[in-house]
Amino acid sequence: MTADNWSFVFAAYGLAAVVLATYWRFLVRREKELDDASVVRRQMRQESGRPEPQARASGHPSS
Amino acid sequence: MRTLLGGVTLAGLVGGLVMGLGIAPREMTQGNVQRIMYLHVPSVWVAYLAFAVVLVASIVYLVRRAEAADRLAHASAEVGVLFTGLTIATGSIWGKPTWGTWWTWDARLTTVSILFVMYLGYLLLRGMIDDRERGARFAAVLGIVAAFNIPLVHFSVLWWRTLHQPPSLMKPGPTMPGIIVAALLVNFAAFTLLYVYFVSRRTRVLRLEAEAEA
Repeated sequence: MTADNWSFVFAAYGLAAVVLATYWRFLVRREKELDDASVVRRQMRQESGRPEPQARASGHPSS
Repeated sequence: MRTLLGGVTLAGLVGGLVMGLGIAPREMTQGNVQRIMYLHVPSVWVAYLAFAVVLVASIVYLVRRAEAADRLAHASAEVGVLFTGLTIATGSIWGKPTWGTWWTWDARLTTVSILFVMYLGYLLLRGMIDDRERGARFAAVLGIVAAFNIPLVHFSVLWWRTLHQPPSLMKPGPTMPGIIVAALLVNFAAFTLLYVYFVSRRTRVLRLEAEAEA
């Protein structure tokens, strides 16, 4: 019979929960931030009458 | 759609947790510490999957110069690094009570560390080059070269004498009890859904960032 070592089990699961929840939260927040900025940009473009740029499916924008 | 996927993923993770910590039986030789397997093995599966996607997307990018393929490779590499890090950390926590050490330079641990560092380098390379097209091209080449390390990691336990145990699921001979396999499969499914969810969100974030820069 071996020792159960529950503390190691909880440490592993706890660490995974923190890491995955933090990344999940980062993605949701960053997406919301960019969505909000995109709405503001769209409004500014509409006001100034400029066309809207789109990220392309192929090819990179020249840098 | 993405919210639905997030909900299903969360439900799958809770189901996996219940299976792994509650329903699956206590293992005879290792005791309850073996329950780390339900976290450790699906994590490395997601890492393999993520890097395989990087390989395919990198080839597509080099052939077609499709920015969507580049974004997919970038997102998948990031998620792959996250899960490789988790694999190493949970493996180390599992190693202490079973092997008596947090870390040892055995073949599996060494090759997986090299895999982690290579894809970390992949992400750093992308961040270091200002010219996005050039950065994407270099990253695609590295994404293809680094993928050769995946079979090396997987078969290291068969090719060399290691402290790490060989694969348990697909080995010939006596198999694991059905309930343990079921708990593992639930966690495999939940982690795969989590990978799809993370990559779809990260890909969208990368597209929005590109639009903001344009």
